[in-house]
Amino acid sequence: MSKGNIAIIGIGEVPTGTYPERKPWDIIYETCMEAVRDSGLHKNDIEGVVAVAPQAQPRLSAEISFGKLPEELGLKGCKDTVICNAGGASTSNCLRMAEHWIENGIARAVLIPHVTVHSTIPIPELVNFFAQAGVDLQWEYPFGSTYNIIMGLIANRYMHETGCTAEEMASVVTALRSWASRDPNSIFYKKDVPSVEKVLSSELLNSPLHKRESNVLGDGGCAMVVVSAEDAKKMKRPAAYKLGESVRYFSGSPVLRDFRKVGEGFKSTAKEAMAQAGIRKEDVSIWNIYLAYPLAHPIMAEALEVAPPGQAGKYFLQGRMSFGGDIPWSTIGDAVGRGHTGSGVSAATYVETARQLMGRAGERQVKNCRYVYQNTSGGSGFNVIATIWGREVK
Amino acid sequence: MNFDMTKPIPDMQPWSAGFWEGTREGKLLIQTCGDCGSKIFYPRKYCPECWSGNLGWMQASGNAKIFSFSTAYSMVEPKFMDELPYTVAYVDLDEGIRMMTRIVECDPADIKIGMEVEVTFFQRGDFYLPYFRPAKK
Ligand SMILES: [Zn+2]
Repeated sequence: MSKGNIAIIGIGEVPTGTYPERKPWDIIYETCMEAVRDSGLHKNDIEGVVAVAPQAQPRLSAEISFGKLPEELGLKGCKDTVICNAGGASTSNCLRMAEHWIENGIARAVLIPHVTVHSTIPIPELVNFFAQAGVDLQWEYPFGSTYNIIMGLIANRYMHETGCTAEEMASVVTALRSWASRDPNSIFYKKDVPSVEKVLSSELLNSPLHKRESNVLGDGGCAMVVVSAEDAKKMKRPAAYKLGESVRYFSGSPVLRDFRKVGEGFKSTAKEAMAQAGIRKEDVSIWNIYLAYPLAHPIMAEALEVAPPGQAGKYFLQGRMSFGGDIPWSTIGDAVGRGHTGSGVSAATYVETARQLMGRAGERQVKNCRYVYQNTSGGSGFNVIATIWGREVK
Repeated sequence: MNFDMTKPIPDMQPWSAGFWEGTREGKLLIQTCGDCGSKIFYPRKYCPECWSGNLGWMQASGNAKIFSFSTAYSMVEPKFMDELPYTVAYVDLDEGIRMMTRIVECDPADIKIGMEVEVTFFQRGDFYLPYFRPAKK
């Protein structure tokens, strides 16, 4: 377990969108070069590359897995490279690998890139990939389940238990999109923020999930440069220090996921990560939540004790988690606000965590941002990884 | 666009063959551990509680309650489009097992969490999928 060992000192990102003409390697060049320049290091200072596995892109995954990235970018000081795949939790594992390499003297500076280009994947392949990923092919898939349906099952149960209304659920989208509309890297940048009525008037895909409560697939990419906390301090540049981490595994198949255990896991990992960082809930400046679907956000808000049991929907409806509200929450708007880039939304969330702590989030900048809670989760929610980041290490 | 329109059959494993064999005879079977007494779902090669290989089967009553459900109207794989609308559910068997299934033989509008349902078997290829319908009192 880690406390104050590493820091993100450079970030690079391209806006999420639909760019079929844009090759994945084009995005890799842009984001990696921006991140390295931003870190103040030279390209040859990068001694390790730990890449986020691009989902549904087998050829690109193979190229990156087998060492093409340092060669393509001319990273002459690179000692090793590897790819991490844990779905949406991949980036967290890239950071852990970077930490391991840095702590053990394998690399002093590590580059963590992510790229996803959905728009050139044939639609039948994409549809099939997302239908089968994270569900059991014997006990779930034959019944016609999809990610949307798995989310519907969770949301219906939550609404049944808490009395959370459809309007309250829809208001999560309004809140997330209010941040996204102010994010130049979002697919919805400068677009109208849909009202609760507009969300609920969109097509009902599967109860209780409306079209505007589901995700739009996008292309995108980002990169981070990570060094030891000690080196980051010496460099005297704005940085995001990793201060605490905790994790729970739940289950590979959604049907075996105990809803209570998941809520308990969200709660305990947050507490453990905060304890490691030496902070309290009240110290958290931003709850940077990555859950991929808006309907899961109220469950998380209650588990984190940001909202009392059964009240999270009301908090969202009151605008407390929206841009300008008193609880800064998912400041890129999660996948529904950013546009879904496979495992990339969690990578983008880390970049946002760093950006906020570096004080460079523009209109979305949360004032006096000192500590950020950020979670990731992989597959259809097989785990939760909670981390705490700070702008300095004590 | 060329979508694969083949309806998926369960990706059977050697140790789950007994379950699917049971469905052909109209039986809903639960795997049991002869050593620690666990009821196991889904069926495994070794008991996930104690790693015993001494595994057998018991017949479930087929009665269950709906834990949660979601009725699909759109955005499913093309191979399932012809079945829309359909309701996917988690049901809790009286024996303490939770399964994913379909709720059939009723209007989706009448489906409720906590509703009592009973097993019925739906043929797909050589398989009989355990679906559930409202319990006949
Ligand atoms: Zn056993």
